[in-house]
Amino acid sequence: MPAIADRNSSPFKGMPAAKSCEVVGSNGCYTPQKRRLRSDTAAVKESPVSTPMKLKSPRRRLISSPSSPANQIKEDLSGKPVKKCWNPRDVEQMSAVKEALHVSTAPSTVVCRENEQKKVLDFCKTCVKQEKAGSLYVCGCPGTGKSLSMDKVKQQVIDWATMEGLQPPEILAMNCTSLSNTSVIFSKILGMHQSKKKITGSTSPLQHLQNLYSNKQAPSGSKMTLIIADELDYLITRDRAVLHDLFMLTTFPFSRCILIGIANSIDLADRFLPRLQSLNCKPMVVTFRAYSKDQILSILQERLLVLPYIVFHQQALELCARKVAAASGDMRKALSVCRSAVEILEAELRESASNLSLESVEGEFISPQTPQENSTVRIDHMALALSKTFRSPIVDTIQSLPQHQQIILCSAVKYFRGGKKDTTIGELNKSYIDICKSALIPPVGILEFSSMCRVLNDQGLFKLGQSRDDKFKRVTLKVDEADISFALQGVRLFRNCLQ
Amino acid sequence: MGREKEKEKPSEKALNLLRSRFSDPNFIFKPLSDSPDSNYSKLKFIISTSVTEACNNSILLLGARGSGKVAVLELVLSDLLQQYPEVISVIRLNGLLHSDDNCAIKEIARQLCMEHQLLFSKVASFDDNSQFMIAMLRECGLAHKTIIFVLDEFDFFAQGKQRLLYSLLDAMQSVNSQAVVIGVSCRLDVDQLLEKRVRSRFSHRKLLFLSPSKEDTERFMEHILSLPVDSSIPHNYAAEFNGRLKKIFSDERFKELINTYLSFNFTIGHLVRFLFQAVSYMDLDVGFLSLDNFKTALSSNQRQPKLECIRDCSILELYMLVCMKRLEVKEQNSYNFYSVMTEYKSIHDSSQTSDNYAANVCLRAFEHLLQRQLISFIDNRLQNQSVEFRPVKLLISSAELHQGMKSYHQCPAILLKLMDR
Repeated sequence: MPAIADRNSSPFKGMPAAKSCEVVGSNGCYTPQKRRLRSDTAAVKESPVSTPMKLKSPRRRLISSPSSPANQIKEDLSGKPVKKCWNPRDVEQMSAVKEALHVSTAPSTVVCRENEQKKVLDFCKTCVKQEKAGSLYVCGCPGTGKSLSMDKVKQQVIDWATMEGLQPPEILAMNCTSLSNTSVIFSKILGMHQSKKKITGSTSPLQHLQNLYSNKQAPSGSKMTLIIADELDYLITRDRAVLHDLFMLTTFPFSRCILIGIANSIDLADRFLPRLQSLNCKPMVVTFRAYSKDQILSILQERLLVLPYIVFHQQALELCARKVAAASGDMRKALSVCRSAVEILEAELRESASNLSLESVEGEFISPQTPQENSTVRIDHMALALSKTFRSPIVDTIQSLPQHQQIILCSAVKYFRGGKKDTTIGELNKSYIDICKSALIPPVGILEFSSMCRVLNDQGLFKLGQSRDDKFKRVTLKVDEADISFALQGVRLFRNCLQ
Repeated sequence: MGREKEKEKPSEKALNLLRSRFSDPNFIFKPLSDSPDSNYSKLKFIISTSVTEACNNSILLLGARGSGKVAVLELVLSDLLQQYPEVISVIRLNGLLHSDDNCAIKEIARQLCMEHQLLFSKVASFDDNSQFMIAMLRECGLAHKTIIFVLDEFDFFAQGKQRLLYSLLDAMQSVNSQAVVIGVSCRLDVDQLLEKRVRSRFSHRKLLFLSPSKEDTERFMEHILSLPVDSSIPHNYAAEFNGRLKKIFSDERFKELINTYLSFNFTIGHLVRFLFQAVSYMDLDVGFLSLDNFKTALSSNQRQPKLECIRDCSILELYMLVCMKRLEVKEQNSYNFYSVMTEYKSIHDSSQTSDNYAANVCLRAFEHLLQRQLISFIDNRLQNQSVEFRPVKLLISSAELHQGMKSYHQCPAILLKLMDR
């Protein structure tokens, strides 16, 4: 076990007394040295909810879930109803913010997905009630909350079934990427069913299941099986047999499985399972649309509700939500942008603090600034984080290339302006020599030229074909012409050249 | 004699010291990493916060080959291993070796076993290995140890179905595991190669390794070439060495030389190789570096083999090349030995030079050109036809031919005139 400083344990072990924020950071050490143990947070489940805060009810639900950072409540100054500014120098607060914004922290309620969850839950309920098999297909872009919602539905189905007095179904949740062979899925389903009976070696698991479902089951109260298969498109083989057979399992007369498949493509069911339509048992499709700007904003705010202080400016959050919604509607991206904005703020504060401490007379530590200083994440931090995430590094790299390689790019742009899409290195060399002559720069020989083309190919700016002789390799430009013009516009030579 | 021997030794020692410096990536990249917004400190900050705050992260290091990505990463990792000795374990994979999923998982399992002193079985199947990896991630998460995955040549992992990347990045989405995935690649658009599922799970942090600016380059060269005054090298020798070095650096011609070199290749790796060559050319008798060393290094870097070939050709061979060039100019793109002979004869008819040789001598010259690869057959399949009838093509461009002939002192002036017409 790593040796951990025992300052670690004190704030978490059931001390509801108010702590001021300056205590922890007052020795001026800015590198986070101690670590918050997740096991400690998990241990403090039953914390007294006695602080009289004007808080909305989700917070009370958050307290009872094991992954909530419940310790934060104890840090509140008791009695203050309004959220105060945070102190970003406080290590615990910083790590709490980062944890709240981390993708792996599952919130207790999944906001903005109530409709979809309700649809899936109703489907499961009818299946369990009527003891009928059925199949459902959940689709949507990555980062739209599909797997998260299915986790919640799993729990809700069990709770509902126990409440209604019905037999709760057995759950088999798996990710199809972890299967080494696509037909392993059938042995897993079979394993859920018959843990007692031995499987005969002659029949394959699939045939066994088919036999099982074709004959009447003796006890009518046996459990249904709820199968949740994530990343279903890994099961697509060339002859599409596995996917077909999986969905066909639900069509047998005495089948007892409820199948929920999760994937990204919307028309998976139509394209790969046409036979099911003729049998009139196409799976029900639930689409998880990409998040809109309002949805992203509300999800971010929900996550930040846990914290008793204001971290972001409202406009910064809106900017983030707007940009991410316009780009892809992917929640993971929004969370990662927020986290990197927080880190930018942290870096800025560290730099200003180190500048201040350099200026101090005797080299003593300066006590951290009082929280009245404007230390929330502002729009400029968020804009910087967004540009770092969404901007490709191509423009920067082109600007920092050595001169001759820039000339090569320029000559490629000029050559391809005539409508041709690819050329050979020999032709490109001629164009390059022309530009060099017009700029009065001595051109390099063909060997050096082709090795520079290879460097550009390695970096993903060119694409070189194969050929025995260097001069006859085909060259295509992989970067947009506008990017190159934009990157090189600062240099007069290229500006004149690319006009 | 004794004094001369003594004078030899310091220069040899200096040479050895400089050469060992060039081969040590730590020494090269340390001064470039001192500023707080360098890639070294950013990377260190990201990894150390992931370790201390126990959260998962993924980063990409992008940059041209030789810009120091792996060197800086190793610096950061060695610092962190000293700082947190028990808490970090590092797993290294390379895309050239382990791009196949089975291989990769096996290698991960083997390295995990080695780190934690467990027994690794070579016959474990893919399933066993991946279960082991997931179990280890969970255990390390509970024990608050961080596993750092370093994926070199990341773009090779993005081929095929990307199952390894997906399972690694997916494992990082769960609360139980504590891992950092660092991808190193020279392709700038590597995240466009990822599938959208994998890209969504990747946290989009990219560190760009650009070449240093001119001032940084100068400072770097000074730092790496100056001898330390307090080592085993005698003090006055070192002081004079450094003094002369400063004079060279402030010379205008040196600056121009360095600019010329850097306008082709700007990465630190290339610069170090150039300086290594320059230092190796140092004359041990003199004992100090001079501007000529650098010039020799530059010219040895910029060799043009075809030009050197031209200088070794005989006059008759040059005549043949010029004839072929003239045929090309006349739009006759395929020619064989007899058409070249016709052109040769027509030149001699018009100018009456003294170099008129018979056909068999010319054929010998033709074969020499073939062997030296200055010309080659267009079609390699017609092996049974004799040499004189098969069409050939030139493998040297007219500019190179012209330049080679101009630098060839014994080349008759008429050839140059013929080229120009």
